[in-house]
Amino acid sequence: MLTAVNRIGANARYVWTCWKVNLASAMEYRLSFLLLAGMMFVNNFIWLFFWSLFFGRFPIVQGWELHDVMLLWAISAGGFGWAAMLFGNFPRIASIVATGQLDVYLSQPRPVLLSVLVSRCSVTAAGDFAFGVAVYLMVGDTSLTGALLFVLGLLISGLLFIAVMVIAGCSAFFIGNAEGMTQQLFNSFIALTTYPSDIFRGLAKLAIFTIVPAGFISYLPIGLLKSPEPGFAILATFVAFGLTLAGSLLFRLGLRKYASGNTIAMRS
Amino acid sequence: MGEEINRWTAAGRKAAAVGKIAFRHQLAYKTDFAMRCFFLLFILFVFIQLWSTAYGGNFETVISGFTLKQIVWYLVFTEALTLAAPPLCARIEEEVKNGDVAIRLIRPQSYVGYHFSVFASEALTRFLVHLLVGSAITWPFVGPPAFGYGWFGLLALSAGALTITFLLLAIVGLCAFWVEETSGLYFVLQKLQFTIGGMLLPIDLMPEWLQRVCAWLPFQAALYFPARMAVHYDAALLAKHLAVQAAWIAVLAFAVGRIYRRGATKLHVNGG
Repeated sequence: MLTAVNRIGANARYVWTCWKVNLASAMEYRLSFLLLAGMMFVNNFIWLFFWSLFFGRFPIVQGWELHDVMLLWAISAGGFGWAAMLFGNFPRIASIVATGQLDVYLSQPRPVLLSVLVSRCSVTAAGDFAFGVAVYLMVGDTSLTGALLFVLGLLISGLLFIAVMVIAGCSAFFIGNAEGMTQQLFNSFIALTTYPSDIFRGLAKLAIFTIVPAGFISYLPIGLLKSPEPGFAILATFVAFGLTLAGSLLFRLGLRKYASGNTIAMRS
Repeated sequence: MGEEINRWTAAGRKAAAVGKIAFRHQLAYKTDFAMRCFFLLFILFVFIQLWSTAYGGNFETVISGFTLKQIVWYLVFTEALTLAAPPLCARIEEEVKNGDVAIRLIRPQSYVGYHFSVFASEALTRFLVHLLVGSAITWPFVGPPAFGYGWFGLLALSAGALTITFLLLAIVGLCAFWVEETSGLYFVLQKLQFTIGGMLLPIDLMPEWLQRVCAWLPFQAALYFPARMAVHYDAALLAKHLAVQAAWIAVLAFAVGRIYRRGATKLHVNGG
């Protein structure tokens, strides 16, 4: 029991150290960091500008208003932001596996998936996260309950991004080069999380709540923030944590099939 | 005079040869092509859902001169043009970062001219394939693209549109000579094309004040002009749009030339 607690403590210290090093590394090129994060912030605002034009013409679309889509972007970009800042390698698992870069992590005395995920920090994601928080402060409910629900929304959204991409990335263990496929899935998943879930009907709607679970992010502004539906909130939380667990188990399973040439090298 | 003509002929032959190689290069990477087509299908499906919902599924309703069918086909054309553009900024940035630019600069062909040859070859091929793929998903949902002379308008304006896109991307890409990292600037340019360029929403649906602003910017000439001409053909307007495109090409080409000359004198490369 004590050993398990020690191990968790050691892993937590390791993760914390990685985050500090990643931050220090990003800060080494401070201007570049600010420029990239700032551009991403502006980039997301331009999307909101599009939506403001769209809702200028069509004020209510299937019950969605501009305010809801702004919160959708806050949750989607904010969730992606924290996930990619703290676990920046999650969209690159397929590439890491297919190119044999996993060797270097296998030699470390830490959980492999955790090591892979925390060893990179996406600089542009800081802009996404800042954007998410800024939009929430602009249009969200800033009461304590509202803030807690928003944080839960960010947690669900970030976990789903990580889980879906880890599961997709694990395909590289079984089919080899899956970079192109996972990249397309990544782009499509992100796109789906930024459109109101209610524009989809029939099979498409079913798909975004099953095969590609982007609906659990894109319905959060309604089902969690606007008029909280406990059933949806519990299900979304369960799906987010469940898929994260499934992703880590699949990665462990995939590791047994992993093979590569000797590519152990210093990472710069 | 004769020497000048020979020089231009040689430059043209080199550009054609580079374009031919770029075309063959694309045929070698069929999977990459298929993946891009998948994204086009996917995003068009999302747009069809969005606009069908906005129009309440009504094919008769006309909003700012667009029926649901026209707006969806308009989006097919803007998407086909947008996704046709190769990642020029990333290529220039990579060449500067890894030093390959040193090799390009000593070749007996203009640096910008080389990239234009590759861009034109890839973009034209992709554009035609995207039109076919986009039609495949759109046709069953909103009906055939029976736009008559609109197709002629689309093709007539697409060459100028892609040239303007190249020049805008080149301006951002050449900033790598100063800042190395251009992805942030590229994202912003891309989103400007998406919005005030009319990719996601025809400019006719925008507020009056914004339409006036867009009229003074080059973005609409790269996407809105050809796509709108396709769904609303107007011979008089076509001539005007061609003239506006020519003016923007002249202005942007001048800017690219200036930026390139200034950037090349600042560039320090080791190895390559």
